[in-house]
Amino acid sequence: MKIVIANGTTEAKFVIDMFKDDPNNELVVINSSKEVVDQIVATKQIRVTHGDPWRDYILDEANITFADVFVALSNSDTDNYASCILAKRAYSVKKVICLVQNPSNVEIYRKLGIDSVVCSTYLLTENIKSESSMERLVRTLTLENNKIVVTEVPVLSNYRVCALPIAKINFPRYASIAAIYRDNTVIIPNGQVVINAKDVLLIITSPDKQSDIISFIKEKRKK
Amino acid sequence: MAIKNKIIIIGCGRLGSSIANYFSGRGENIVVIDSSEASFTRLDNNFSGYTAVGDASDLSFLENQGYIETARKVIITSGDDNLNLFLTHVADKIYGVEEIYVRFDDPQKSLLISGEPNVRGIYPFQLSFDNFLALDEEDEK
Repeated sequence: MKIVIANGTTEAKFVIDMFKDDPNNELVVINSSKEVVDQIVATKQIRVTHGDPWRDYILDEANITFADVFVALSNSDTDNYASCILAKRAYSVKKVICLVQNPSNVEIYRKLGIDSVVCSTYLLTENIKSESSMERLVRTLTLENNKIVVTEVPVLSNYRVCALPIAKINFPRYASIAAIYRDNTVIIPNGQVVINAKDVLLIITSPDKQSDIISFIKEKRKK
Repeated sequence: MAIKNKIIIIGCGRLGSSIANYFSGRGENIVVIDSSEASFTRLDNNFSGYTAVGDASDLSFLENQGYIETARKVIITSGDDNLNLFLTHVADKIYGVEEIYVRFDDPQKSLLISGEPNVRGIYPFQLSFDNFLALDEEDEK
């Protein structure tokens, strides 16, 4: 995999360490700071192009055409944006990843064509949200830039869905039970499988329906 | 839907302020945005538009004030090419602004706005060079 690492300091060094030992990877490192270039060259023994990654002659020099991944790690959101857009439009890079500081840029950069936008504050708030779900004994995992949520819901004996085959519970169409954990085994469910108390249901849904499906499963059986 | 009647000028340096003064003289509905209050001293004493201090790279600032939704024309003149590129794409692709003018120091940025008939690039380097060639040709005669 050809990976381009554009700007960044500690982030760049970390990404380089993650990928440099695999002989299948070709790392292309570009950095605007002479100081960072010297540090990387001295400690990582790889070639680094010195210059701004939003300039075409620098990307030409670094030879990034048809790279698989381009990741922009500077602390300026707009510099990262400009570098990613140039790499994608003019150098046919397959996937561009942009680090941003301002959480409100996450959605907008995606809309403007950046394949993946990473923001630590945004991730932090997403984590806080899933922590608050944890309090209700639910764990979540978000995938595909938060378009898919996988939620773990443990079943209690007083839930309406408990002791019924899946076909009988009128499970909403906006979600699906991907798997059931039961006594350390995984069951891939079909309509005949009966949900037991202490099962953990692994539910796939969109983020906006997550709380609906949790309430559906947690609905108590009528006495 | 908001009425699109404003001219938004981002950056109040020499170019931005001159454009703002020009449109103000024509009685247009103008908003000038700059991150520094001091920049607005470049505006004429009888400047009739609005000024707003803020970070144009923070889209929530542009949105909260309702500026960009009501823009008929957006003129982007900040000294940061990458910011200008981002704002151009936002005005064009997110808000569908009909007329966008953007200044770039690096003429190569034209690569990234080509094919958009509503976006016009202004390149001070190119203008100076063309000007030099014209002067030189005149002197040669």
